[in-house]
Amino acid sequence: MRKLPFDTVLIANRGEIAIRIIKTLRELELRSAIVYHDLDAGTPAVSMADVAIPISGRTPVAAYLDSAQIIAAAHEVNAGAIHPGYGFLSENAEFARKVLEAGIVFIGPTPENIELMGDKIRARKFVQRNGFPVAPSAIEEDDPATFISRARSIGAPLLVKPSAGGGGKGMRIVRDLDALEHAIVQARSEAQRYFGDARLYVERYVEKPRHIEVQVLGDSFGNVIHLFERECSVQRRFQKVIEEAPSPALSPQLRKKICETAVDIARAANYRNAGTVEFIFDGSGFYFLEMNTRLQVEHPVTEMITGIDLVAEQVYVTGSHELRLSQSDIVLAGHAIEARVYAEAPARGFAPTTGKVLVLDYPGSPGVRIDSGILQGQQITTAFDSMLAKVIVHSPTRTEAALKAERAMQELVLLGCETNTSFLARVLADEQFLSGQVHTGYLDENPHLAAGEFASDLTAFLAAAALLTRPVRDSADAVPELHASLGSWRN
Amino acid sequence: MNHFLELEGVDYQLWLSRCKQGYRLHLGDEVTAPIDFCHQGDGCGILTVAGAKEPVRFAIDGDTIHLHIRGRTSVLRYRDPLSTLALAEKHAGHLVARAPMPGVVVATSVLPGEVIAAGTALMVVESMKLETVIRSSQNGVVERVHFKEGESFEQDAVLVTLSAEGH
Repeated sequence: MRKLPFDTVLIANRGEIAIRIIKTLRELELRSAIVYHDLDAGTPAVSMADVAIPISGRTPVAAYLDSAQIIAAAHEVNAGAIHPGYGFLSENAEFARKVLEAGIVFIGPTPENIELMGDKIRARKFVQRNGFPVAPSAIEEDDPATFISRARSIGAPLLVKPSAGGGGKGMRIVRDLDALEHAIVQARSEAQRYFGDARLYVERYVEKPRHIEVQVLGDSFGNVIHLFERECSVQRRFQKVIEEAPSPALSPQLRKKICETAVDIARAANYRNAGTVEFIFDGSGFYFLEMNTRLQVEHPVTEMITGIDLVAEQVYVTGSHELRLSQSDIVLAGHAIEARVYAEAPARGFAPTTGKVLVLDYPGSPGVRIDSGILQGQQITTAFDSMLAKVIVHSPTRTEAALKAERAMQELVLLGCETNTSFLARVLADEQFLSGQVHTGYLDENPHLAAGEFASDLTAFLAAAALLTRPVRDSADAVPELHASLGSWRN
Repeated sequence: MNHFLELEGVDYQLWLSRCKQGYRLHLGDEVTAPIDFCHQGDGCGILTVAGAKEPVRFAIDGDTIHLHIRGRTSVLRYRDPLSTLALAEKHAGHLVARAPMPGVVVATSVLPGEVIAAGTALMVVESMKLETVIRSSQNGVVERVHFKEGESFEQDAVLVTLSAEGH
């Protein structure tokens, strides 16, 4: 790699993504620095970084959102660049601008890119103006007084979304127009709390939509390439659960069209660094959904099928270099699937779970990549996102990848905090998933996948638990003589 | 004697007896084929059911038994019959609204002393990025609101205690 204008990169993030970034920085022989809240002291990301600086906040999340402390930490360790990871400040244009003003390189797009795409309404208008397809919509700020009537006139079903949103926060589906006003009130309250911005918009909800997104990379010389698409249709409450690349829904012609559309959108926006253009695919056509101006959680599936380290390319183009890859260098090989391990109980409506990780053992088969942020002994709290790890597999075909992922989910041992691994294994073995016929409502339409089924294993679990419980085993061991003398004293 | 193991909200009444090949599990009216468990150190062991061997990973934390068998994980709780009774006694005459999942209080909607009807909103909580209204399942008088706005709680935490109307 050519010389970079910095030798230390500060990671303004935590958990698995911080570790993933540190790994690439090490390969690039760059020093890694990290900020951390007290609750994360002793986590693997903090121990792995070359230097770690504590930050504080009213809440743990607030610490990671405190741009002043983070920039001060970067100065303290002479970090020439900041990598924001995903979430937290990664899509905050003001933060990117402050970083640049502090004389530090921001590993990500320009503040203008973030501003344009971060405001979902502005992004849609921009994309529409440039001749790309978007879903029919009503935007509140165009004329707040007529917002509800304009939304009604699109017709049900509708999707209510916060303008400043992302990650499914505050989104609501309205199938009955009588429920529209109530949904707007609730979405507004959530939007205000999550984004500090209560503006909403409503768009036509596509039934059985598939979520397909294209990974793009741009440099500051106007070059933009794509690294093919990912499909992320297996979702619960708008939260991605299983992602894969390539999408089983696209023909080679459609793949070419959607990937080229993404490149054209990014180019029209003068997009720099790694980004993802998300589309809704209805089986024949696609609409622009939004553009995420950061590294995505599910970026590893793209890395698996292309063999390209996206973080390394992010660092490289940030160092004012021209992209070292051209479109013809990007070759799609095999099939990759990522399963997200969450601390949650699928059978109880995916409620978050907490606990201490008593046993942690990841599968180590070839073609299996684990991006994990946790260690045995760690306490899992609700202070942060409930994602504990990502298991990514790569195989020659989709069928083999699904089987490998299912096995990995069964081999993964995490005791002490309930997780969704059994649920993921069931989805990966489900006929509908295997046939590729999924859409974003797939999990909701198949509640049996979340509920699980215990009957066949019940005896094994009760037998093991009984034998491992001292009072139960002790009373059996004590019984032979007693039992003889007391007769049928039981009951 | 009978013991109780709780699994996914269901209490299983069971006991073990010795037999030549190890133990038998007595579950309700059923008696299993011989079972045994052989420790292999550090949270690993082999469960034998009717001669078939299954690798088991386990962790024991107080009364809680975490198990990984046949690719799936489950948590069982050993119920000491005495503590189960004490808990029931403590809540006698009171109605409690419990947290269905861990979360944060967004707003409290009632004050102690307030007479409420079934269906009254007690609290708005936020969990998993969504707001949920916790409503009273019965008529009653608010005795205590256990959490303030902004406070976080764990699953099963008592959010609001009510006393039955007329008490």
